[in-house]
Amino acid sequence: MSTTAITHEPVTQPPLAVCRPGELVRVYVWQWPVRLTHWCTAYAILFLAMTGFYMGNPFITVSGSAGQHFVMGWAKTLHFYAAIVFALSVITRVLWMFMGNRYSTWDKFIPVARKRQTGLWNSLRYYLFQLRQPPGFVGHNPLAGFTYLFVFLIFFVMIATGLALYSVSAPVGSPFRVFSFLLPLAGGAQSARWIHHVGMWMILAFAVHHVYSAVLMSQVEARGTVESMASGYKFVPCEDLVYSGYRFLDRRDVER
Amino acid sequence: MSESDNWFMQELEARGVSRREFVGFCSAMAAVLALPRTAAETIAAEVQVAEKPVLVWLEFQDCAGNSESFLRASRPTAADIVLDTLSVDYHETIMAAAGHQAEEALAATVKERPGGYIAVVEGSIPTGENGAYCTIGGRSALQIAREVCGNAAATVAIGTCATFGGLPAAAPNPTGALGVADAVPGVKNLINLSACPANVENLTALVVYYLTFKRWPPLDAWRRPLFAYGKSIHDNCERRAHFDAGQYVEAWGDEAHRTGYCLFKKGCKGPVTFQNCPNVRWNEGTNWPIGCGHPCIGCAEPDFWDKMTPFYAHLQGVPGFGVASSVDKVGFWATVGVGAAFAAHGFMSLGRRWWYSEHHPAARERAEEAQRRADDEQKGGQP
Ligand code: SF4
Ligand code: SF4
Repeated sequence: MSTTAITHEPVTQPPLAVCRPGELVRVYVWQWPVRLTHWCTAYAILFLAMTGFYMGNPFITVSGSAGQHFVMGWAKTLHFYAAIVFALSVITRVLWMFMGNRYSTWDKFIPVARKRQTGLWNSLRYYLFQLRQPPGFVGHNPLAGFTYLFVFLIFFVMIATGLALYSVSAPVGSPFRVFSFLLPLAGGAQSARWIHHVGMWMILAFAVHHVYSAVLMSQVEARGTVESMASGYKFVPCEDLVYSGYRFLDRRDVER
Repeated sequence: MSESDNWFMQELEARGVSRREFVGFCSAMAAVLALPRTAAETIAAEVQVAEKPVLVWLEFQDCAGNSESFLRASRPTAADIVLDTLSVDYHETIMAAAGHQAEEALAATVKERPGGYIAVVEGSIPTGENGAYCTIGGRSALQIAREVCGNAAATVAIGTCATFGGLPAAAPNPTGALGVADAVPGVKNLINLSACPANVENLTALVVYYLTFKRWPPLDAWRRPLFAYGKSIHDNCERRAHFDAGQYVEAWGDEAHRTGYCLFKKGCKGPVTFQNCPNVRWNEGTNWPIGCGHPCIGCAEPDFWDKMTPFYAHLQGVPGFGVASSVDKVGFWATVGVGAAFAAHGFMSLGRRWWYSEHHPAARERAEEAQRRADDEQKGGQP
């Protein structure tokens, strides 16, 4: 059977040229920058939350001469390095929204297309047990994408308040002092602290939901959701490709 | 000009302040202003010959704490004389005149020297009920501030009430109190000296700067002079080494407290408060709050009564969860709640999947169809 079908028309039928109903098709969804930034962000958050929690509530204390210890000092240092990884990773992912493949673009997070909007509603109905099948979206389903929009917003708030707080103690002459302009916007350093702290809990709550959903949806939908964050490939039933909302299918997207 | 007919030096002599002490004062001022040591000479030379600036001191919703700070009851020092170079035309607490006479003096200054005097404002300005909460001589604080500050060469808002509203502006702010910057927007050369009360050393340094350089010092985003508010308490704190090491006071009077460990876990707001207390200290450099074992309560920052409380906790609680709530508690249970909700959802999803695979006719058909195809393929047949 020929696998050279390159359809530049809106897809209305199962792409029988490349697969058959019921068959699982391997689709390259997450390009390496998406996967790399995902894991950099995830591990940075782990480090940031651990060190940040200690900084707000130093539960490890030491005795003896102050000169011999640097517990808080290390927590702060690690926090700052993890923050660099985090910020760069988030920025890279945002840039990739304008450079990456169709599954990674900005309009997967901001549902401007009609299809994404109805998809958002249907995803919600699926999660609320109103629909039997999840609407077939290969990449982020519209609800997940929309949720990530808010996650990104929290990330930006964390980066902004973090830079604002860093500017307080940045060495004189450090370029990071310019971020002190963010302090009044946050309502002062104490408010920046509060926002930064609440933001951490929001991200942790999201992370719990995210891991649960990923693992369980991997089980429920059997599409290799979790594995796709390592390999980049998802397994999609042939017929779902039709409803996936992607107008073009070509060989780069569908591999046997 | 010879030294003997210099009124300033005569004044020093009359008050028993030695020339040496004056030079020492000038170096101290250079230090407070973060200027090189050589600036002390410039300061000494300029302060001696400076013209007396005229000053009016307005008190609105205040406790006169900044006036107290200004008038320090102690032996005369060179600093007092510098403050005395200010010719105070109006100050309700210390002026001899009273009633209409006093108000006339104020009106005369504003009328005769528009743009030629410095207005100092102490206390917040109530804006609620058209300013009726604070009136002097039948005029509201708002009207007075508009007129007096509006015509001043510069306005110094002294103390946290005058800069940010302070205590009267604390929630629920019944009088609609505001600091000068918000109550009278657009005031020319507004300089904020926040803190409760403002440290007289910083007021003195501000005056000395003005007398020496004939202009006002660089300011931060809240219009506070950078020489006094450019660094956090935390970054100059003598207990900082204990902070970095991980040594904290856990309870009042414990071993750590007696040793002088960091007060961070007692809610110290030093890391988010900008002022030069650790260097300049209080009461003529005797000591300062953290030096005596009390955490900084952040008195120099905007909304300090609302945001820096509880004074002995790191952070405020979460609105709507009661005063004793902590962000960590609420955040922890919210996280657990999200986890539980999604776990429940996941199990329901698994249950649904199982139910459909067992009971739904379409699902059964689909499964049979798939099975048939698999069988066909094994037999080598075409679908
Ligand atoms: S006592 Fe306060 S200002 Fe001093 S090091 Fe500790 S937290 Fe910082
Ligand atoms: S140590 Fe803090 S609370 Fe105390 S006077 Fe200084 S800024 Fe205000």
